[in-house]
Amino acid sequence: MRWLIPALMIALAAPAFAKEELVTLPTRNTVQLTIYNSVDLTLVRETRNLTFKKGNNRLQFSWANTLIDPTSVEFRALTNPDKIEVLDTSYPAQSNQMLIWTISAEEAVSANVEISYFTSGISWSAEYHGVLAADEGSMTLTAYVTVHNRSGEEYEDASVRLVVGTINIVEEIARLAGGASQGQREEAYRGMRDAAKSGDSKKDIVKEGLSEYYIYTVEGKETIPDKWSKRLESFVQPGVPVRTVYTLDPMKYSGLTRLLTFKNDEAHKLGKEPLPAGIVRLYKQHAGNRLGYVGAVATEYIAKKDEVKVNAGADLEVSFKHTRRSLKKENLVFQWSGNRQYLAGWDTVETFHIELKNFRSRNSEFELNLVFNGDFTFTSEIASTKVDYRTQRFTQTVNANGKLEITYVVRTRNGSNAKK
Amino acid sequence: MKTKLLLTLAATAAFTSFIGVATEQPAHARIKLATLPDKEAVVVRFDHPNVVIVEEERTLTLQKGVNNVDFSWAGTNIDKGSIIFRPVDEKSTTVVLSTSYPPGEAALTWQINATEARSEKFRLSYLMANIQRETDYRAVVSADEKTCTFRHYFKIRNWSGGQFDEADFITRDGKTFEKGLANGEAKRVLVNRWDNVKLVKEYNYDPQRQSEGKILTDYVLKNAKDHGLGAIPLEYGKVRIYQQDSAGTTAFTGEDWGRFTPIGDDMRLNIGIAQDIKVEFKKMVNDIENRRGNVYDTNEVDEYEIKNFKDGEAEVIFTLRVDGEWEMQNSSSGYTSFERIDNETIKFKVKVPGKGEPVKLKFHYKRLNNW
Repeated sequence: MRWLIPALMIALAAPAFAKEELVTLPTRNTVQLTIYNSVDLTLVRETRNLTFKKGNNRLQFSWANTLIDPTSVEFRALTNPDKIEVLDTSYPAQSNQMLIWTISAEEAVSANVEISYFTSGISWSAEYHGVLAADEGSMTLTAYVTVHNRSGEEYEDASVRLVVGTINIVEEIARLAGGASQGQREEAYRGMRDAAKSGDSKKDIVKEGLSEYYIYTVEGKETIPDKWSKRLESFVQPGVPVRTVYTLDPMKYSGLTRLLTFKNDEAHKLGKEPLPAGIVRLYKQHAGNRLGYVGAVATEYIAKKDEVKVNAGADLEVSFKHTRRSLKKENLVFQWSGNRQYLAGWDTVETFHIELKNFRSRNSEFELNLVFNGDFTFTSEIASTKVDYRTQRFTQTVNANGKLEITYVVRTRNGSNAKK
Repeated sequence: MKTKLLLTLAATAAFTSFIGVATEQPAHARIKLATLPDKEAVVVRFDHPNVVIVEEERTLTLQKGVNNVDFSWAGTNIDKGSIIFRPVDEKSTTVVLSTSYPPGEAALTWQINATEARSEKFRLSYLMANIQRETDYRAVVSADEKTCTFRHYFKIRNWSGGQFDEADFITRDGKTFEKGLANGEAKRVLVNRWDNVKLVKEYNYDPQRQSEGKILTDYVLKNAKDHGLGAIPLEYGKVRIYQQDSAGTTAFTGEDWGRFTPIGDDMRLNIGIAQDIKVEFKKMVNDIENRRGNVYDTNEVDEYEIKNFKDGEAEVIFTLRVDGEWEMQNSSSGYTSFERIDNETIKFKVKVPGKGEPVKLKFHYKRLNNW
């Protein structure tokens, strides 16, 4: 390997720290990356074929200029494990990016060995593109995963596994790695632009559940040079039903906001696995398969059956007017303090009016969340639901080119009239 | 032999697009041979209120098997995460296998698999920042101030770093115009024209709009079909107003910001102050009554004396505001009609005869339950 870092060297017949040293450089046979997206952590497993002489062998493993956690490096013989034994592991004083195993072999023997370690600097992210049909009733959803390599090491022909979920670690791998410098590969372009080793069809990404996590395994092998990112398609799902709901929710959005919603469930032709956190970008299909931009949202992890809401901003084709038509004070209660009478409690009775106009050529759904403070009673001829102790919700459909008016009354009990 | 395609979006004239066909030398070798696919059918769309999407087509010459296509956009404001690359033919068997991003560059490489060697048209879509848009209008009002012509202009200014030699620009309401637009260049295009648009001239007294109590002259357009508009919601923008004069030319009479006006709503445009109508305000009564502990009502009479020095009668609309809980009293007088717009706001229409003869608007109200 041209960029063999970590370097694995078998030192031959020389004292451990002699000035002259003869080494052989066994190449990696396989490498597997298991990349977590909730923390800066990747588990690397690599295998190499080594030949041991009878007696003690010294095996040097170094990882200069990478972000490997020295405490995590492990050695394991996959073949002939009964003939090979690690006697000790030394960490030379003059290098914090090197270790030497003393390995005892019962006889001269070849073995396939696995070296595993944690590294920081490799991450992955998800993103989604949804292309809405002209009627905005459904979309084709394409999911991507992108692997980012800033670890200082080039991983060639690696098996890539991506972990979806939040794991707990008690120390950051980057800190354990000792803050090794990054950015030492001037020729990192190599490989990524070389198509010779690529397959000729899109790679499958197989998803499987594991305890609280999901593991996405990318089919085949990937080469990801240092500092490069690579994006692969995770799945394409046409015909995902989408609802457009014009939403007023002062706790979340500014003004009446167009939200496009879908669920990660079977009814929406999804729900096979949770969707990792990422940016969802929505486009609308115009004539000639051209695209218009609708909006984007950075979503958290979307569990199975969970809902996604994409904020498409304000829409010029609907309008919303909210006015207070009247204010009255009632049930004034007076108390005496010495020889002075003062107002202790009162109700305010406010009448509000909402006018919704839909200039679109199709019916539109509205969800209006109204937030009030204090001890209040809400009454309306049009049905509403209580969302929480201070929020009432109207859910209404306004016909194409139609108008809807809602009047509601809020009585708020203040001072000694308040019960809450 | 592998085909290597390099698409470069020109940042300046010094940058040009090129396609490269590489021989079997390693891909990272320094000697490359490149051919250049031209941009075809460029569309710039303004669907979203803040974001612009650009789509361009390029015909690629693909070899059978895996092809690498490079796209770079140095010096331009393309949103990297938004880039979509796909065959124009939805039934194409050509697939984009992966996208790779080199370090420190505004560039990417697609691996594309073609089932046979052929030329194929691809569409590249991306969001681009710093293409600004602006709407403005020009109204020419008839001599009798009852109708106007109304012109809708769309102005684009390109600070994106990109160059559009020839592109279709599509406005939010679907109007298309074809133009070239260099980086740093701006263009203003007439996109809609409406004639015989009805307008209503109003004289308004509104202390919230004119704190010195002067009368505002407004034109009010209704964005409705039977008023000569109503085709599209009217976007926010500056309206410059001209009036036809007796010489057959036009004179500039004022300008105002037209607010966003959905279909069915009014656009109100102030053209200035009406100097010939004067209003004098006096508070005639300001009493406290009905005391209960620290709670009381007020009894207030506001009087507005109005003089119209024009020859003919004028109608003045008074928009007055009172905070809190209040009720108008029956002794109010001097108006032809009134409307309580909301709890705080009341509008009176007052007919004012010409030649300076004064009339009075009396607004009598009580504020209730103050403390």
